[in-house]
Amino acid sequence: MNLASQTAALITTGLRHIPQRLGSSLVIVVGIAGVVAVLIPVLAMYVGFGNTIRGDGRPDRAIVLSHEATTEYDSGLSRDSVAVIMDAAGVRHDAHGDPLVSAEVVLAAPVARKRDHTDVNVTLRGVSGQYFAMRPELKLVAGRMFTPGNQQLMVGAAARSQFEGLEIGDQVRLQDGDWKVVGVFAGAPGARGSRESELIADARTVMSAYKLDSFNSMTVELDSAAALPRFEQALAGDARLFVSTRGEPEYLASSSRSVNRMLHLVAYVIGTIMALGALFAALNSMYSAVAARAVETATLRAMGFAASAVAIALLAEALLLALAGAAVGVAISYAAVDGATISTLGGALFDSQLVYSLRVSPGLVVIAIALAATLGLSGGLLPAIRAARGSIAATLHEK
Amino acid sequence: MKFLPLVWAGLWRRPVRSILTALCITIAFVLLGLLEGVNAGFAHAIAEARREFLITNTRVRGGAPMPISAMGKIQSLPGVKEVAPRAYFIGTYRDPGIRSSVVAIATQPDVFFRQLPNVRVDPAGLEALHKDREGMLVTRGLLDQWGWKVGQTITIHGATPKTDGSPDWTFHIVGIFDTPQAAGPAYFGVINYAYFDEYRVENRGTAEIFYVRIADPNQAVAMSAAIDHIFANSPHESRTRSRQARAEQQARQMGDVEFFTHAIIGAVLFTLAFLTGNTLRQALQDRAHEFAVLGAVGYSGGRILSLAYAEALLLYLPPALFGLLIARLLAPLAAEQEIGSILVSPGVAAAGLMCAACLALVGIAIPAAKLVRTPIATTLGKG
Repeated sequence: MNLASQTAALITTGLRHIPQRLGSSLVIVVGIAGVVAVLIPVLAMYVGFGNTIRGDGRPDRAIVLSHEATTEYDSGLSRDSVAVIMDAAGVRHDAHGDPLVSAEVVLAAPVARKRDHTDVNVTLRGVSGQYFAMRPELKLVAGRMFTPGNQQLMVGAAARSQFEGLEIGDQVRLQDGDWKVVGVFAGAPGARGSRESELIADARTVMSAYKLDSFNSMTVELDSAAALPRFEQALAGDARLFVSTRGEPEYLASSSRSVNRMLHLVAYVIGTIMALGALFAALNSMYSAVAARAVETATLRAMGFAASAVAIALLAEALLLALAGAAVGVAISYAAVDGATISTLGGALFDSQLVYSLRVSPGLVVIAIALAATLGLSGGLLPAIRAARGSIAATLHEK
Repeated sequence: MKFLPLVWAGLWRRPVRSILTALCITIAFVLLGLLEGVNAGFAHAIAEARREFLITNTRVRGGAPMPISAMGKIQSLPGVKEVAPRAYFIGTYRDPGIRSSVVAIATQPDVFFRQLPNVRVDPAGLEALHKDREGMLVTRGLLDQWGWKVGQTITIHGATPKTDGSPDWTFHIVGIFDTPQAAGPAYFGVINYAYFDEYRVENRGTAEIFYVRIADPNQAVAMSAAIDHIFANSPHESRTRSRQARAEQQARQMGDVEFFTHAIIGAVLFTLAFLTGNTLRQALQDRAHEFAVLGAVGYSGGRILSLAYAEALLLYLPPALFGLLIARLLAPLAAEQEIGSILVSPGVAAAGLMCAACLALVGIAIPAAKLVRTPIATTLGKG
């Protein structure tokens, strides 16, 4: 028999004997299933959060904040500045010749989270008329637009699903009394952005109710993504302005960096610790597999089976058990979290909520499989070497 | 009787298996310590926050400030010890622009500092601020930022002009205070509300926040409701909460941290129970013969069982303790990475060790019972 057929024969025998050592074989499966079932949901949070934040970004949109402000809520733009920015070079105009810009205010609206009735804040964004023209990805899905001058709100579909009292016709108590929900908007299916976690109203109506005389930020649609440097220079060179300009994707990435970094760190710290634990479990399991089959292995080698065939067969067994564990872990995490929608901090304000969904995506499954394979092979390696190296005579003599 | 050496020798019969199992246990308890530590950190912050200190905000953030006339009504509620208003003074020092901005809290300083026991203020400075209407206490950070000195008179260009039309506000630096528990240096001052409000043009006679101290901390919820009742059905609806309730709400806003950590701990412990249960079962199986011999030489069933239980505990507890110690050493890194505070407290350690003991006892119970049930002759016959 050649090496390949020897190995194949040994693998088949090894697998056939698994029921006899079910306990110790399951150790690998359960150990790796545990790692995968914990790691996938944590990574799904990280990915879901990042995708939702980035979901709003288009390179042909830019956001203008006051100089040195890094977030919308610590930025302030006067009405005069807004008027200047509107006329700057690089801003796209619609069919009527009006600039595609939206000067916005961001405030907190107190609501109750449905799941646990906790008081939380959602972002209330006062926007100007071109908001939806600039964001074709947002569609009205129920009700109608707000009427400027009236205390009316539109709610994002994600916010409506997570928080109480945001149905059409509901009154939301904000400054200056109740604001009526008149419409619901949503992003493209499957591509929910952070704006869907917000309430939207007319900027000037909000400003008069809150007695504000400045905006927080201004978003402009550019002629093209390539027009950003031109637009930036136009603003930087204007003595009437003291502002900073960023492409929308860049702003979104930087504004969510801290939460993103935290989720990332949590995922990797937990993942690393658990992977280490699973590695020891796999080693343990494979060592006991080697010990249980010492006589059998020695006999096979005495019969002429190559030591390398013995080692490869053992590695293959570890790999297969690890992959079975990955499959179980993926199945558990799929059942537990796939499609779940959660809300945590991460909205446009430092304390407003972001609603996002968890998906067990193919990418995460690949990560799980790669991790399981690595753990299975590393866990099988030392025991495989021991099995291949063991002295035939000594083993057979001992028994 | 050589009980412990016997138990110890039992563990070292299969050193590789015991060591690998111990490593698994250690790692599981590192994770358990860290995750429970996150919960303990939040719980600690909440427990530290005092219930007798209430804060009244406008219900809608950014809403119009509340009239100062309400302060008298709050003060006259039975059970209220003291009330102070708060307003913000914002201005720039020397140059206009964000870089030179100076922020001060206009309040009744003695009440304000009593609300913040973590802020250290020099009593002489507080007394000086009390005597000098135009006084200002500043953090060390602010003092150093501008190179100010205690005793100096400064002029700040206020965002709100004074009633005499001038935007220039004069203050005397009368002392400093420290915020030792804050993450970094703080940059703000504290000034007399009476002086600020008398001369400001905008929002005169209003407060953004009222600081309230009540006599009985157990009445915090009822007192909060009573204060909010004062503002009900007015354009200035309020939301009052104790500092403890605020800390609790902040923790819950982050997301359901406790559920999340417990779900992971549950998964880890389940996996661990399976892994180690298997080791314990194998260990007993391997030694069934030995135990039978012990039985044959006169060891009682209970004694043999106690050997098995002791061995399981010895396998579990030291690695669990070691894991919790590692978690305790790792915990400060979380604060460095600005994740929040992880507190591997004695309570967390005790709960962890309890978990470890439970896993050990449950893991050994089934195989041990089986061992005792099997007649000695059967086992010895097999050998």
